[in-house]
Amino acid sequence: MSNQQYGFYTDTSRCITCMACAIACKQWNGIKAGTVARRKVHTIDTGTFPNVTRTFISMNCMHCSQPACALVCPAGAISKREEDGIVVVDKDRCIGCKYCFFACPFGIPQYNEDGMDKCDCCLGNGVPSGGTPHCITACPTGALKYGTTSELSELVAEKTVRFIGVESLPSSVVT
Amino acid sequence: MKKQENITREPVVDGVAASGTSNASTASTASNASSASSGSSGSDASNPESGLSRRTFVKGASVLGALAALGGGVGLFTRAATTQEALAAEDDFEVRHAFCQMCGPARVHCSTHCYLKEGRWLHVEGNPLAGNNASPGSKTLCGKGQSAMQVLYSPSRILYPSKRVGNKGEGKFERITWDEAMDIIVTTLKEQKEKYGAHSYGVLSPQFYSVLGTLGRRFLNVHGSPNYLHSGICNSQRFFSRQVTIGGSTHDKANGTDSTQLDKTKLLVLWGYNTENSAINQGNPKTRLDAMEKGLKVIDVRPMMDAMASKADVWVPVRPGTDTALVMSILQVIINEELYDKDFVENWCLGFDKLAEHMRDFTPEWASPITGIPEEQIYEVARMMGTVKPMGINIGNGVGDQHNDSHWGVACMCLISAITGNLGIAGGGSANMIMPPSLIKTKPIDLLPERLPQSQEDVENGWMAGVGNLVAPETPRWFQRAETQESGPTSAYFKGLMSVLTGEPYPLRFVFGQSSNPLSATRQPKKVAKALQGLDFYLVMDTQWNSSCIYADVILPACTNYETSQQFAVRNKANGTWIGMNQQIAEPLGESRSDWDFYVDLANRMGYGADFWHGDMEECLREQLEPSGISLEELRASNEGIFIERTDGSKPQEPEYQNYAELFKDLPEGKVQCFNEWIGGQLNNLGTGTLAYLPEYKGPAENLSTTPDIAKEYPLVITDVHAYRLCNHGYYVGVPYLREYQPYPWVKINPATAKSYGIGDGDWMRIVSPHGQIQMTAKYFEGIAPNVLMTRRGWWESCEELGLPGYTGFDDGSEVNVLYDSNPENFDLFNSAMSKQTLVKISKL
Ligand code: SF4
Ligand code: SF4
Ligand code: SF4
Repeated sequence: MSNQQYGFYTDTSRCITCMACAIACKQWNGIKAGTVARRKVHTIDTGTFPNVTRTFISMNCMHCSQPACALVCPAGAISKREEDGIVVVDKDRCIGCKYCFFACPFGIPQYNEDGMDKCDCCLGNGVPSGGTPHCITACPTGALKYGTTSELSELVAEKTVRFIGVESLPSSVVT
Repeated sequence: MKKQENITREPVVDGVAASGTSNASTASTASNASSASSGSSGSDASNPESGLSRRTFVKGASVLGALAALGGGVGLFTRAATTQEALAAEDDFEVRHAFCQMCGPARVHCSTHCYLKEGRWLHVEGNPLAGNNASPGSKTLCGKGQSAMQVLYSPSRILYPSKRVGNKGEGKFERITWDEAMDIIVTTLKEQKEKYGAHSYGVLSPQFYSVLGTLGRRFLNVHGSPNYLHSGICNSQRFFSRQVTIGGSTHDKANGTDSTQLDKTKLLVLWGYNTENSAINQGNPKTRLDAMEKGLKVIDVRPMMDAMASKADVWVPVRPGTDTALVMSILQVIINEELYDKDFVENWCLGFDKLAEHMRDFTPEWASPITGIPEEQIYEVARMMGTVKPMGINIGNGVGDQHNDSHWGVACMCLISAITGNLGIAGGGSANMIMPPSLIKTKPIDLLPERLPQSQEDVENGWMAGVGNLVAPETPRWFQRAETQESGPTSAYFKGLMSVLTGEPYPLRFVFGQSSNPLSATRQPKKVAKALQGLDFYLVMDTQWNSSCIYADVILPACTNYETSQQFAVRNKANGTWIGMNQQIAEPLGESRSDWDFYVDLANRMGYGADFWHGDMEECLREQLEPSGISLEELRASNEGIFIERTDGSKPQEPEYQNYAELFKDLPEGKVQCFNEWIGGQLNNLGTGTLAYLPEYKGPAENLSTTPDIAKEYPLVITDVHAYRLCNHGYYVGVPYLREYQPYPWVKINPATAKSYGIGDGDWMRIVSPHGQIQMTAKYFEGIAPNVLMTRRGWWESCEELGLPGYTGFDDGSEVNVLYDSNPENFDLFNSAMSKQTLVKISKL
């Protein structure tokens, strides 16, 4: 599976903000409560009572095609893997400068005592490249999807849902 | 990481963080699981020491902590915040099967795989063999299920038996041995039985709890007490009302439209139905979302716009407590505009003309100011319900059992289904698919109902044994028959506890609170605390400290589901039948013990051993498994359960449609009770008068439209969600992974309202009703009417890991039940439902 690009999308018509994905991520990656959150479920409410529209979207690192985080990293700690496009952090190289946080259009990078932390598609907890990450397995409504860009594009073409593309970066999603 | 200091901005992006929406009510979806056997605990409550304010919460926390530490803390979830540190591949783990306990004690809804390393439970996911979430192969779990490890290792686990050494309520306890504890309990029960009669013993029933529903009920029967104190916040309330209106003989039918027939439903009306908070991984909402993608139209009636309400075609934000008025006006429009099925009404309805006459004035114009719903929307909804077919109605806890007029609300919904011709049709109501028979047969635990003594009064009145002796009959005594209440007689939880204060008709002397915190599970904790204080003996058995413990005479440590292997479940699905059993995944912490073992041991020590397998739970399990041909050893050894595939080609069958003679056979004259001759004119549950024949709107004791004088001082309506997806009633609020998303007691408030009081998003606010006052933090939310507040009850649990306290359950605490009316005369006179709505005034703290 060389030169694949993996990505995620939330079918906002199905997400119910149950938090299963976010907590699955924590428990499988051994992340303590109250520290970093590699996955967050955002709620965007618009309008006023009773004409309210609600959108729920589960977000993590986009594994961008041209990761701004990697571009600005002075320590060369962030890299994009050739084989699957997963953007990974080498914590041994991270100097904690937080440039990546400022550069990332989604504000994804977070920090703990080991350095920058973000989604690694569950590589670190033993899910092989191309395997199903735990947040995807967890989702009770089937709202959260993972796959190669072409697989996801197909899915998205079938449904009129908001797609967090790995190339198009709709920063308007997080309002 | 190499260090370097040049941070200028806090990089935390939590601004938009997961807002915990939540909402009002819920419905228990009929879970497809089945027989269960033992397990452990969990239920509802709040904390001592009134006058504990947020500002002194540290002190409050120490009160809670002290009790939690009763048996000394245990190591908590200690895995460090390492992230990139590679966890080994999955095959390095030992994987054991257990049922998730996060939807309540001894539940068997979701079957899980627990991943252990070096004996420590680290990860969890759904067992694909069990068909969780109505999906074969599914490994999904909800947020609570994902956090289950933290329940086992919680620092607030109760670890040792203890007895009270100070005054009741003082919270002073001394560690004792199990033998000492059992001796005290047995001696007290025997003495009291001798002196006051066996009926002086009552048990608190939290949400359905298998241990109590099986061994607990069997113990009551053998001991001789009918006083199963049922919460009344239950599916049963809906079921009773439905049963006397449109018939139905099993609990399965209480929920209306079958989710497996949803593909045939065109319009689904969800009323006070909140499965995105109560039953996330039990097949609903997934199946509903699937059906909506295929065109199902949805009307969602509830005060707050929870996640699924926001996806509905029509959201009807009914004012809390006024649902019965709303449904009456919808029924009125359907009758008035002749949107009903005339053939059906002519052939299968009793007293339709009387109903039509009675309903004439309950128009949308009448209902609109009561419910806060514009007349046009009432007409729109009524016309949709009257014309789109098949139409199904799913009634949830929000409306079915938490209103003073719940019975009539549910009855009107049932009448709408009936007269519009939506009963017994595919995709309508009362038309469940029929599953092929289970390939695995087990024997349910016999409750031994014949052991309950039948009094002269019971015999004379033709009542089920024990009914005459009930301390506070939940439904009227005349209604409590073997055909209507399969599991036996019931008293109402709150009214039963009040007998301690009133002495009427006699005071309960011994109450057993197992996995139920009465200071949060029912109304008015201030009165409940007095009752607990006045009791001769209050016994608590629970996994974790709860705020009612300070009134206990003896506290027993229960282990969790995960520390015992005494519960199995059978699931019969289209493709086959699965049976699975809990594996023990940890030794019981401290001296904690399984609730099942406790019951058989108690019975044995009481001299009831012959009826309780002589104290041997293994024997009880063998007896249950006997018809299956699967041995206990075999089942345990299978770990993830045994699946027997269906090979004879049989498939789920459609039921026989429109078989009304069968559907209505238990109803007077075999017809739908438009004019209710079953209950009308009969004695109510208080014995103070008779029940009505036709729908009545009563509303909460304090109500914007019917008590305008109170509304002048208290202009806002408050209620609380029945279920919330990050806890189980008040239990598991202290679980770190869950508490992270609801750190402080919250109340949803419309931003415009909050601003007019100078209350900012996240500010603490005081909420005062005519009955008490509480403190909560404001959560701005546009999806709620400007004059309505929505909160959540049960905040006694602290969270050590996040340094967050628990909050008391009395005035100035955070337990919303403090605010509600609790006059039993106001409760529903048929099914004892208690309203959870009142009027309040608010201010910034
Ligand atoms: S820029 Fe942000 S979203 Fe893109 S790869 Fe880097 S951390 Fe992920
Ligand atoms: S892929 Fe793994 S690391 Fe990334 S958000 Fe999902 S669970 Fe977390
Ligand atoms: S698990 Fe699925 S439904 Fe739940 S919050 Fe995540 S994406 Fe949404």
